[in-house]
Amino acid sequence: MTRDDDRQQDALSAAIREKADYHSAPESLLEAVRASLPVSAERPPRIRFWLAQAAALAGVAVLTWAATLGYLRPGSDEGLAMELVASHVRATLDKRQIDVASSDQHTVKPWLSARLAYSPPVADLSAHGFELQGARLEHVGGRPVAVLVYGRRKHVIDAYVWPARTGAAAATLTRDGFNVESFAAGEMRFGLVSDLNRNELRDLARLLALGQ
Amino acid sequence: MADRRLRFEQTVLPHIDAAYNLARWLTRNDQDARDVVQDSMLRAYRFFDGLRGEARPWLLALVRNACMTWLKANRPAELAGADPAWAEFEPADEETPETLALRALDRRMINEALAALPAHFREALILRELEDLSYKDIARITGAPVGTVMSRLSRARRLLADSLRAIARASSAGVSG
Repeated sequence: MTRDDDRQQDALSAAIREKADYHSAPESLLEAVRASLPVSAERPPRIRFWLAQAAALAGVAVLTWAATLGYLRPGSDEGLAMELVASHVRATLDKRQIDVASSDQHTVKPWLSARLAYSPPVADLSAHGFELQGARLEHVGGRPVAVLVYGRRKHVIDAYVWPARTGAAAATLTRDGFNVESFAAGEMRFGLVSDLNRNELRDLARLLALGQ
Repeated sequence: MADRRLRFEQTVLPHIDAAYNLARWLTRNDQDARDVVQDSMLRAYRFFDGLRGEARPWLLALVRNACMTWLKANRPAELAGADPAWAEFEPADEETPETLALRALDRRMINEALAALPAHFREALILRELEDLSYKDIARITGAPVGTVMSRLSRARRLLADSLRAIARASSAGVSG
């Protein structure tokens, strides 16, 4: 095989990747498949649901109380961090941290793009010790937001990603024992929430900002 | 039971896009692709307990088999790629490849040329380029040895280049004429 041939093969690969249609499953097909699966009780018992809600509300109340007492610096970073921590706590209590479980960025990214009006960057950082576990959708600030879930040792890190035109200064905060890193990279804003220590969380922030 | 369904929804169902994309490219129409995916998902649910490792190649193998059954029944001619004569096929102008202006190719031309490939070449390209799967995974999905997958891919690209040249020539003739 000649070098020209190799080059042509590579160029054709690229052309297919860029230009061939990718047929995503129609929403109605997904509904039909769901409907055809054997029925089962999907919801947790009601009492547990209410307990989780109550616990999450209590978490928000504690944060609000801390904010009014002046423990937290005021500003939009505060509001954001509080909302992200509340969302993270809610998901943990509901045991609903992952909607799509996969360590494959080529599975997670299309899943998110199909459900959002934007396509968040999804990086596989296992080489750096941050293992991609999957993703889910959350409502933050009144809009659906992508949450990438990474694992490091026993710690879970939620990376909230949403598009933002205006850049924001990076900030590190600690709320209720959770560390929060927020920063902007490219056209996206990121908010990392975890019980992982600050240094390692900042490492992840740096990797994500580099888009690796 | 609830647990099993939840696990299925988290590990297998998210790959429905990959399933539909493969079925859509192999059956080349929406309704049959839907039927194939629906059947494959039910089969996947039944055999879910046997799943070891990554869910996507496992599901795609089920979808691929369902597509092959469908093709055998409905479009046997498209399975010509499995024929040894096709497998040995070398494009005619390999010696003096006329350079293909890939940048001039539009979406429609690529789609058209891909759709026109025999099914075995088409599936190899879809799995490799659109699903970004490894040779090993493609081998497992298509039930062919890794070496065969690699040569099939290389031949598929050359066949595609040939057919793109023909399409480009036809369309430029159409513009000037």
